[in-house]
Amino acid sequence: MKEFELEPGEHVVKQVRKHWFVFLTELLPYAIMAVLPFAAPKLLMLAPPMAIYATFFDFTTPLARAALGVWLLISWTSAWGTFTRYFLNAWVLTNERIVTIKQRAFFRREVASLLLPRVQDVTTNVNGILFSLLGIGNIKVQSAGADVEFTMRGIPHPEQMRDLILKYIPEGDSEKITGV
Amino acid sequence: MSDQPLQPFSPPASLTELLPNGISSGTVVEWILFVVFAFWAIYTLVAIYHWLKYSHASWVAFPAIAVHLFISLALITYTLSGQALFLANYLP
Repeated sequence: MKEFELEPGEHVVKQVRKHWFVFLTELLPYAIMAVLPFAAPKLLMLAPPMAIYATFFDFTTPLARAALGVWLLISWTSAWGTFTRYFLNAWVLTNERIVTIKQRAFFRREVASLLLPRVQDVTTNVNGILFSLLGIGNIKVQSAGADVEFTMRGIPHPEQMRDLILKYIPEGDSEKITGV
Repeated sequence: MSDQPLQPFSPPASLTELLPNGISSGTVVEWILFVVFAFWAIYTLVAIYHWLKYSHASWVAFPAIAVHLFISLALITYTLSGQALFLANYLP
């Protein structure tokens, strides 16, 4: 780990990212964007007054192909950027602390740690039928005293993550925990 | 409110008529492509920098970069020449 050094005796227990379904929903606008030039002629033909515009999308001329190439290049690069941000956002649970790594944008990265003995409350919630079926939810970890609160949204099986966090909290502090 | 029926839109006859004298449509296309490719190159370099610096030596980093470069170069080739290399089956 380059962003944080593991202490002697510390090891990574689990590293999680957003659920793949949440990632796919983030990709959806770019998929629609990529398909649009191919679907547009068919859609325009459904509305007779607009049918004359369907000829713009035949892609037989070099200029039309260049425009299509640029459009697809922008769509692809944007989608790949989304994947990059998805991959660089992570939660790391070690046997001593929780580390959140948030890549909000390029050159905008936050790394924060919360020592497990300071954890006071772990809350999970799963909202909706689809998220319940896929096991997608949110987990919120609050520390004792200070207003430090870690939240990760759209992670797979948040209840398993909660159980792992509770498992690694030192025994002496376990009576304080109110995991839900 | 006009009582005339709605008329369908008509596409512009030629956008090149709007260009200033001395600037051809080919020049405009060249500049647009230059700007798009320059933006793509900068964006790609920044993303690769982040992958290599922050991906925790993950095995995903290099395949992700390689796939991006392969597909992007195929699309750039398609843009410039109309030949899409390995994407030829999927593009007109």
